[in-house]
Amino acid sequence: MKTLTMDDNLQHESVTPKAPKRKKKTKGDFWKSVGQQKYLYFMSIPFVIWLFVFSYVPLWGWTMAFQNYKPAKSFSNQKWVGLKNFVELFQDERFYLVLRNTLAMSIMGIVVGFIVPIVFAILLNELRSMKFKRTIQTVSYLPHFVSWVVVAGIITKLLSIDGGIVNEILLSLHIIDQPIQFMAKGNWFWGIVTASDVWKETGWNAIIYLAAITGIDKEQYEAARVDGASRFRQIWNITLPGIRPTIMVLLILSIGHLTSIGFEKQMLLGNSLVTDYSEVLDLYALKYGIQINRFSYGTAIGMFNSIVSIILLFTANGLFKKFAKESIM
Amino acid sequence: MKNFRTTKLLTLVLAGTLALAGCSSSKDAGSSGAADGGNAADTNSTAPVTFTFFGADASPNWNNMKDDVGQEITKKTGVTINAEYDVGSGGGDQKISLMAASGQYPDLIYAKGSLSTLIDAGALVDMTDLIDKYAPNLKKLYSSNMNRLKYSNEDPKIYSIPTNVGVDNMIFDATGGFEIQHRVLKELGYPKVKTVQDYENVLKQYVAKHPTTNGQPTIPLTLNADDWKIMITVTNPAFQATGAPDDGEYYIDPTTYEAKLHYKRPEEKEYFRWLNHMYNEGLLDKDTFVQKDDQYKAKISSGRVLGLIDQEWDYQDAENALKSANKNEFTYAHFPVTMSEDIKDKSMQSVGFDGYGISITTSCKDPVRAIKFLDWLASDEGQVLRNWGVEGKHYKVENGKRVIPAEIQNRKVNDASTFSKETGIGLYTAMSGRYGDGVKDSTGNYYTTNFPEQIVASYSDAEKESLKGYNATTWKDLFPNEKDFPVKDWGAAYNMTVPTDGEYQVIWKKTQDIVRKSIPEAVLSKPADFDKVYDNFLASLDKAGAPKMEAEYTTLVKARVSLWTGKDIK
Repeated sequence: MKTLTMDDNLQHESVTPKAPKRKKKTKGDFWKSVGQQKYLYFMSIPFVIWLFVFSYVPLWGWTMAFQNYKPAKSFSNQKWVGLKNFVELFQDERFYLVLRNTLAMSIMGIVVGFIVPIVFAILLNELRSMKFKRTIQTVSYLPHFVSWVVVAGIITKLLSIDGGIVNEILLSLHIIDQPIQFMAKGNWFWGIVTASDVWKETGWNAIIYLAAITGIDKEQYEAARVDGASRFRQIWNITLPGIRPTIMVLLILSIGHLTSIGFEKQMLLGNSLVTDYSEVLDLYALKYGIQINRFSYGTAIGMFNSIVSIILLFTANGLFKKFAKESIM
Repeated sequence: MKNFRTTKLLTLVLAGTLALAGCSSSKDAGSSGAADGGNAADTNSTAPVTFTFFGADASPNWNNMKDDVGQEITKKTGVTINAEYDVGSGGGDQKISLMAASGQYPDLIYAKGSLSTLIDAGALVDMTDLIDKYAPNLKKLYSSNMNRLKYSNEDPKIYSIPTNVGVDNMIFDATGGFEIQHRVLKELGYPKVKTVQDYENVLKQYVAKHPTTNGQPTIPLTLNADDWKIMITVTNPAFQATGAPDDGEYYIDPTTYEAKLHYKRPEEKEYFRWLNHMYNEGLLDKDTFVQKDDQYKAKISSGRVLGLIDQEWDYQDAENALKSANKNEFTYAHFPVTMSEDIKDKSMQSVGFDGYGISITTSCKDPVRAIKFLDWLASDEGQVLRNWGVEGKHYKVENGKRVIPAEIQNRKVNDASTFSKETGIGLYTAMSGRYGDGVKDSTGNYYTTNFPEQIVASYSDAEKESLKGYNATTWKDLFPNEKDFPVKDWGAAYNMTVPTDGEYQVIWKKTQDIVRKSIPEAVLSKPADFDKVYDNFLASLDKAGAPKMEAEYTTLVKARVSLWTGKDIK
């Protein structure tokens, strides 16, 4: 059936190529342009539907946060409890602890995770030997494809007291005389997570900056060289301003994700001795929500997360718009 | 003209949507197959019928009844099972929640821990009358355990018949307790290992003599504290060594049925004090609470860990690696170690008959036919078929004894998954009630293929040597026998359904978090601080609401005991 119509269409396409233009539009510019671009509009419909189904319809599930949700019952049979889940959430002291951990680790992650890849990309860009540059680039982004399960294994092995290389080096340099149990120290955990994240993601995150640098007009460098600018000057006055829009957009987006940093790293690197530092919001939602069938409570946490994200995103966007004249909206 | 254009646009939209939805499934979730072609009036018929089935445990070798046992079952009963199993270690929770939400059930279901979800959704058929009228074999099988099949005092119906445990199952071997490598025992001349003091001395003496193993430092004792395994190797041994039976995280008083978190027993504080002492002596591995499951196993398979306090299934992989490398002297012997000699290890205490089982749902169009099918599987003929396979093909009867030919046995061990896929042996065990290991049928043969002679035959040389050193034939001989203890009135407490909503779960989770954080803290503290840390731990359990949770659990235990035993308990 469908193929038939397609064939028909193909046959008639050549006969009536200018048909749309002959139609009269009197409903203003917007509708005019809609009319002109209707094929484009129609082609986008599936994606609008897709967005609606997967991003907006699930918002209906937020109603669960105000219910005492039971899986087997229909919507009309659920018990409504008002803000009970939120009251419970904000009264739990554990919640503030995990919020602290989440914010601490994501802020550390943003600070380090921005500076290092940018510096790395710029340094890489300054290399003369293309062969060397490409090798370094490939080597440095490969860890991105290694799963966190494996990375966590490598990190714990590196930092282990049972022949871990870090302890061995420190011992042989006589910096310490007893091996240090890195993974058992709660206040070191944030640092370890941030450092492993940097190792894993630096090369990958640098790619986008390298791409942005390539987009800078070469004539600017040539002009600067004619004016006698040193290489450092060129970086400071041409490269950095050149990738500024990219940096801003990525920064605003990642501020929006401040509270949702995932939980794989924390779950895989953490252990019972450091839970007070390793438990993050998502892990808390998993443990105290879904794992014990408290779907409503888990939804309340998720909702809190989303609302905070939206507020942060708009605040960051507004501030940048005002002071840095850069924004994503 | 206009028509063409509209069609064109529609086609575009359609094509785009199809491209997106291309992967949507056309699978029928359904329960449609019930009783097609079956004749409900003639219930003894073997007319072809298909039952849909869902199993909450993964069954990767399931072969749609194309296997030998499956063919035989269909031939005898006319029943074909259209089965679906949960994947991975799923346990069926999510799948069953979905079924309950949609109201679409298979005819038969093995629901495991999600049974209460289905009962709350009104999805299950009460089997009491069905068993009474149509299932003589099941009735005989469960005769003395009928009370244990009932769901609860308020709802004393039979919603499922336990199938993952065998009736009157006997344990032939001990696989837990405290473990010591065979090489240690041999060198020290099979020393007495009864108390934690003995255990400590053995490890201490050997590590002093052999500080390194294959060039790496010898580890006297290591434990696995990764996630829930902390219960298996760190906290459960506390009640084992102090003479309490395994009731999960609780200790249940056998006379008053009062439940409390087992950490509150003063004896257990002494066990953790001993662990603390072991740590401060340098005998307990410093990595214990940091290492992950795989690191733990890697250490064991390197052969340099002298002692474990674990269950065999947890370190099995590592031991198998040692066995296949022909390093049997590095594998482990099991001992019932306690705090002092007058305490008896209760690992072997029987929980009685308590397990998960199979249910018939309201979607089943012909429950009578279904129960008859389950009943046939539970007949002697059905049980032997499920356990042993087809006569003449998978076993022979010689002088009235069932014997598995050597080449079949060999395939069973070394080519296990293909074997079970082809033969179907082991695929139908959880589908209906059955007798356990060690029970003999009317011909004097065991119902199952696990019996004492086989256990001994599967021991390695090193194991046999150590057992000889202690005058025992199996590890179980070293443990106090189950006959010394009464059968637990409340069954396996860790199998008991607890409230899925309300405060209980939250307090439970909180106390679990406290345990997993504080026990390592206590073990790693300085000996002088131990009391303070442990007392703080107990105080924070109470602060998190433990008394309320314990009271709720006590009520559940009492209700279960009165349901199962008929005792009147206040």
